[in-house]
Amino acid sequence: MTSSLLANLLTEPPGVAHYMTVGAVMFVCGAMCMATKRNALGVLMGIELVLNGANLNFIAFGSKYLDNGGPQLGLDGSLIALFVIVLAAAEAAVALAIALNFYNNHDSIDVDRADQLQG
Amino acid sequence: MDLTPATALPKLLAAAWLLPLASFVVILFVGKRLGPHGKWAGYLAVGAIVSAFLLSCVAMFAVWLPNHELPVAHHGEHHDEGDQHDGAPADDDHQHGTAALLQDAPLTACADHDSPFQLAAFQENEAHADGHAVEEGHAANPPPTYYFGDWYSLGQFGALKLTIGYYIDALTVTMFCMVTLIASCVHIYALGYMHDELHDPYHDHEVIVHGHHLHRPGRFHRFFQYLSLFCFSMLGIVIAGNVAMVFVFWELVGICSYFLIGFYFERHSASTAANKAFIVNRVGDFGMLIGMMALWASLGTFAFGDKQDAKGQTVLTESGAIAEPGIFSQLRTAENGYRLVPPASMIAEETRNDPAIEAEDAAAGKAGHWLLLVAGVGIFCGCVGKSAQFPLHVWLPDAMEGPTPVSALVHSATMVAAGVYLVGRFYPAFCPEALLVIAIIGCITLSLAATIAITATDIKRVLAYSTVSQLGYMMLALGLGGWIAGLFHLITHAFFKSLLFMCSGSVIHAVHTNDMTEMGGLRKKMPITAYTMLIGCLAIIGAGVPLTPIGFSGYFSKDSIIEQAWSHAQTNGGVYWAFLAMAVIGASMTAFYMFRLWFMTFTGAPRDHHKYDHAHESPRVMTGPLVLLAIFAIAVAWPAFRLTGLLEQAQPVGTAAGGSGVLIEDLVVPAEHLSHAPNIKLRAGLAAFSSAFIGVFGAAVVYLWGYLNPREIKQTFKPIYTLLWNKWYFDQLYNFLFIQPALFIGRQIAAFDRGVIDWFLHACAWTVRLFSMVFDVVFDRTLVDGTVNTAANWTWDFGLLLRRFQTGSLRQYVLFIVMGTWFMCLAYFAAAFVLMS
Amino acid sequence: MDAIYWPSVFFLIFGALACGFALAVLLSANIVRMAFYLVLSLAATSGLFFLAGQEFVGAMQLLIYVGGTLVLLIFGVMLTSQERFVNMKTLAGDWVIGMIAGGALLSLLTAAAFSVPEWRGPERAAVENLPIEPNATPIGMGLLGARVDQIGAPADERAGMAGYLFPFEIVSVHLLVVLIGAAYLARAKRRSNPLPTG
Repeated sequence: MTSSLLANLLTEPPGVAHYMTVGAVMFVCGAMCMATKRNALGVLMGIELVLNGANLNFIAFGSKYLDNGGPQLGLDGSLIALFVIVLAAAEAAVALAIALNFYNNHDSIDVDRADQLQG
Repeated sequence: MDLTPATALPKLLAAAWLLPLASFVVILFVGKRLGPHGKWAGYLAVGAIVSAFLLSCVAMFAVWLPNHELPVAHHGEHHDEGDQHDGAPADDDHQHGTAALLQDAPLTACADHDSPFQLAAFQENEAHADGHAVEEGHAANPPPTYYFGDWYSLGQFGALKLTIGYYIDALTVTMFCMVTLIASCVHIYALGYMHDELHDPYHDHEVIVHGHHLHRPGRFHRFFQYLSLFCFSMLGIVIAGNVAMVFVFWELVGICSYFLIGFYFERHSASTAANKAFIVNRVGDFGMLIGMMALWASLGTFAFGDKQDAKGQTVLTESGAIAEPGIFSQLRTAENGYRLVPPASMIAEETRNDPAIEAEDAAAGKAGHWLLLVAGVGIFCGCVGKSAQFPLHVWLPDAMEGPTPVSALVHSATMVAAGVYLVGRFYPAFCPEALLVIAIIGCITLSLAATIAITATDIKRVLAYSTVSQLGYMMLALGLGGWIAGLFHLITHAFFKSLLFMCSGSVIHAVHTNDMTEMGGLRKKMPITAYTMLIGCLAIIGAGVPLTPIGFSGYFSKDSIIEQAWSHAQTNGGVYWAFLAMAVIGASMTAFYMFRLWFMTFTGAPRDHHKYDHAHESPRVMTGPLVLLAIFAIAVAWPAFRLTGLLEQAQPVGTAAGGSGVLIEDLVVPAEHLSHAPNIKLRAGLAAFSSAFIGVFGAAVVYLWGYLNPREIKQTFKPIYTLLWNKWYFDQLYNFLFIQPALFIGRQIAAFDRGVIDWFLHACAWTVRLFSMVFDVVFDRTLVDGTVNTAANWTWDFGLLLRRFQTGSLRQYVLFIVMGTWFMCLAYFAAAFVLMS
Repeated sequence: MDAIYWPSVFFLIFGALACGFALAVLLSANIVRMAFYLVLSLAATSGLFFLAGQEFVGAMQLLIYVGGTLVLLIFGVMLTSQERFVNMKTLAGDWVIGMIAGGALLSLLTAAAFSVPEWRGPERAAVENLPIEPNATPIGMGLLGARVDQIGAPADERAGMAGYLFPFEIVSVHLLVVLIGAAYLARAKRRSNPLPTG
């Protein structure tokens, strides 16, 4: 099945499912980054990956070239993706500032050191 | 305006009665705001009482006198009184009818044994050729003219009818005029006397608080508030139409005296005196309650008079009987010739139903008399308390702690007068034995108080004991059958005693001390006070020209008392002469201590120059009432003014003729008119004059001319002096007899409380505590606490479990999110799969 | 065998690049390399955007992400790049747990993506005949509140679609606030004992 899927993909246009698969991989990689990286900036990069993975789905659902009669977002998909990008930039700025502050205060960017919220 | 007595009198007197109440209420609520420091409250109270006086005068001179012809006066016309003496203005037919009825009555004692009338007639034979006619004319005086009715009915509980009603006869109207006049004088006088209370703060030099004199707000308005309530209460007693109402106002008078005697309540002596007056009066009131209950239980009514219609006519039933007879009509029925015969309801049922006892009692005529005696003595007990008679006289001298205007009011016209007035009002209900008790008490009181007054040096206490003594005179007169004499003296005494008290107040106001040993020579400094007081002294000792109708007011009233005593002694003989002797000796002592007072205060050299130099005559607002009262003290009893005639109009039913004892068979109360016999009048007049003269002369020898040194006399009679100085040790005796036992009982009860009741309560408490401790261990700690603690432990453990997840580690949180999402999606797909399949 | 459909080929290339560099980010321990791989992954993603016909969004992705955010990130890396932080090893246990969780999630998401037939992709003919329409203008008009793509839609479907003017404004202000806040936070110097000054 998988081989036929790949073979088809050379002659037939990709669908939403393919984009979703790529998005899922990026998403999971980001999430794993967040879960495994001890470096705060690594965590930040994981977040960017997660956001991008999600963004891919919006793009896929908003594209008419991938449409096979399922539910469509149309222009809304593009716009939401745009907003996500912008918000990701904002988030990155704030998160970086937090990281810098944390570094200033703790002389470290190891997120395992930031466990003051431990119950 | 409709001036017929039956309609006008209740309205006029009710207005006069309620005006002081209105004043009281107004001052009570807004008194402090009436003018600066409540100054206008005084004017309000004065206005109210003066208006009441004017209304009383209207009632007297515009309504009563034009409608009720006065009987012919006796003084100077003793010879033909038998013909002209009509008693009350009842119609002649009625009177003769009842006289005839009296002769026919089978129960009349005349035929059986010594009739009082026969005896009196026998003893008067030498003076009266027509003695029998005298007997007939007086044997059965019918009820006096009175107006009786109810303003408001409070309620009727079975036979018990509680009403606010009136009983208006000549005595009521006279008392109204007298009380309101003296109260007006006292109010006006108090405007000046209580002037210090207008200062804010008032400095009470007799009270030391923390080493300084007490400073407190002035209580000017409060004084007048109490005075107004006092007048209202006293007028309520006078106008009351039934015993229950009398009792209510009786107690109101008591509480007012409590307020007024304790006016300077910061002074310990004043508050103690107020308590004493109140408690001692309670003792008497207890007896009065017994008397009231005895009367009500046997007669079924509280009312004095018979039910009347709007025109003042007695309401009769169809058979001609009185529809709703009052107390007096039941005790002295027309069928019995207005003699005091206990009605059937007063005789015990078994006695009534047992023919043997009935016959025996009827023969002796004793049935029901004991109850009558109990009722009479019971009512008199209340009067003993209020009028400060012998066993309960101790409160009155202490009551001098009140401001002097209060003393003047309490000890002349109002409170102490209430007792005498009530005896006079209840006179038809007193059997001769009860009258004997009254006479004995009065006799003891008059001599006892007079002896104490001789040694007292406090000017107000001398007057207080003088009051007690004079009240004893009144009681003696009433007890010996002299109804007119007693009440006559009540009215004259009210004038000159209020005069004397207000004079003493003026002196105290000037020298700021009560002690006569610090006075002297004040005549030059305060002449008006001195000479008005001299008039008062002359009036109280009964100064007058013997055998002529010329003299001060006391001359007439005191002479009539001594005449009555003489008549009584002559009638009964033997030991009864003691009453006369005490009356005459008492008159002598009265003269002595009154002039001792006057000489010590106003004549001789000043004993305390500092006080003398600062003395000054009182302001006009105080001397004005003195002069007015002095005029009354001189002239009120003059025969021309017919005061005795007015009182005679109110002669209670059937009492003019006296009576004879049933339980004490040889006791005879002589008819009052018999005392006007010339031979008695002559001897009594001379005895009274000489005794007074001896008293004044003795006082002058010791205190004016100084022939005898009082200190040497004191040394010689030291035991007696000590006894008298300590007031016969009555206070100590009562302390030993009543107060200490009461305290002892109280201590015992307190010990019982602590030892037994507290022990029991503590035992109960310990039992409960023990039970709760057991319960605590068995139930609370195991079951209740166990349940709660288990739940808490579960919560705690669950919290600890959850706490493990709160690692604070960012990376683990991410994992949790991922796994959470995964499980949620899995659950969603599983659910969708299940639903689809 | 049909002719090769080139967009699909490019999709495979870009998708593989995006996924591969994402994996490289995950697996790399060096923070500097991670940043570099992330740049490549995001750039490949923008290629996917272009392939989906969203050229404006793709351009924004390149501009903002690759040009802005990543520069910011690398800036942060350089600020904190002490030797001990550059290579921070992850514990083995964490790797195991992470892989299990990630694998589970990935399998779930992939299964979900292919469970819907309509998402499999359109017919080649249908896509080839579609006109090429640049969508920068509809996006710009949408941000200004005008939905040109909805003009033909029935009135009841258009209800509530008032464009994105308001979110656009919110985002603008949001960005401003974020810039100020970030500047403030990053500016704060470490104080050993904070004392009130002045």
